Amino acid sequence: MKNFNKKLEELKGNSNNPFSVPKDYFEEFPTRIQEKIFTEKKELSWAVKVLQYVKPHFALGFMFIAFAAISITAVDFILSNKSNSGYGNELFTRTIEVDAYEFTEQHFIDVLLEDKKVIIEKKEIESDHYINYLVNENIDYESLIDEL
Amino acid sequence: MSEYSDKELLDLFGDKEKRNYAFNLIVRKYQEKLYWHIRKIVIKHDDTDDILQNTFVKAWKGLDGFRKDSKLYTWLYRIATNESLTFLKQQKTKYLLPIVDYENHLSETLECDEYFNGDEIQSKLQKAILQLPEKQRIVFNMKYFEEMKYDDMSEILETSVGALKASYHHAVKKIENYFKED
Repeated sequence: MKNFNKKLEELKGNSNNPFSVPKDYFEEFPTRIQEKIFTEKKELSWAVKVLQYVKPHFALGFMFIAFAAISITAVDFILSNKSNSGYGNELFTRTIEVDAYEFTEQHFIDVLLEDKKVIIEKKEIESDHYINYLVNENIDYESLIDEL
Repeated sequence: MSEYSDKELLDLFGDKEKRNYAFNLIVRKYQEKLYWHIRKIVIKHDDTDDILQNTFVKAWKGLDGFRKDSKLYTWLYRIATNESLTFLKQQKTKYLLPIVDYENHLSETLECDEYFNGDEIQSKLQKAILQLPEKQRIVFNMKYFEEMKYDDMSEILETSVGALKASYHHAVKKIENYFKED
């Protein structure tokens, strides 16, 4: 191997570089690389400018989308709660109870026996039937309200 | 034009108004050394030109953050070496060839290359070097052609001096065997 090392050193000393380059390659290279860097910088700054212009518009767009999404979710939530709410029924019951306590037994009988009463339905109201029922069953006014 | 030291070039580069001028000086100072370093790895001039441009573009982008605890030229060499190795890997993927076959391809097309003017023995030596594994080839080129010190090679290739010496020794042995077989 020592002999071969010597041969390699002789080969290096005796011969020229077997590789060559195009004419004026190294003279022109610095200018070419500066141009390449300048072009890349220009493209990058253009991209940065576009991004700066577009960013606020994107932000506004996303804001609207977010607002719409929240609104739709809120409306959907309210509507679904409304349909399941028992509050309306309670209100009706309370109203009946309040109004009903102001309504006396005599009022009830007067209404049933009234001659000038307006017939809402064409069906004949058998008021005697209701009064007889109340009397026969011995149902007083307060029991009737409790039942209601 | 008197040559600036690396420190002077870096200081000049630090001044934003003189940055382009400083970079131009850096390119002129190192372009040939880096060119031949890359050329010995990838062989073809056009590929070398592309890699050399990529090397200096990366250097331009990285010089601001360059830590002055390593030498400028070892830093540049490291970029050039890594770019060359990346190129070779890409060639393998591009042509779906194992790297050894790509080296064989280079070996076969060497004499037809318009920018190769070597004689028979130089051609044989280049073909022998192309048979080496790529990192061993780089070590051989740096030691034999560029006459680089092992300490500098160690910094560039991030390998111990002992490993580099062993690698060079094995490379010479393989080249000797190639010459004997042929």
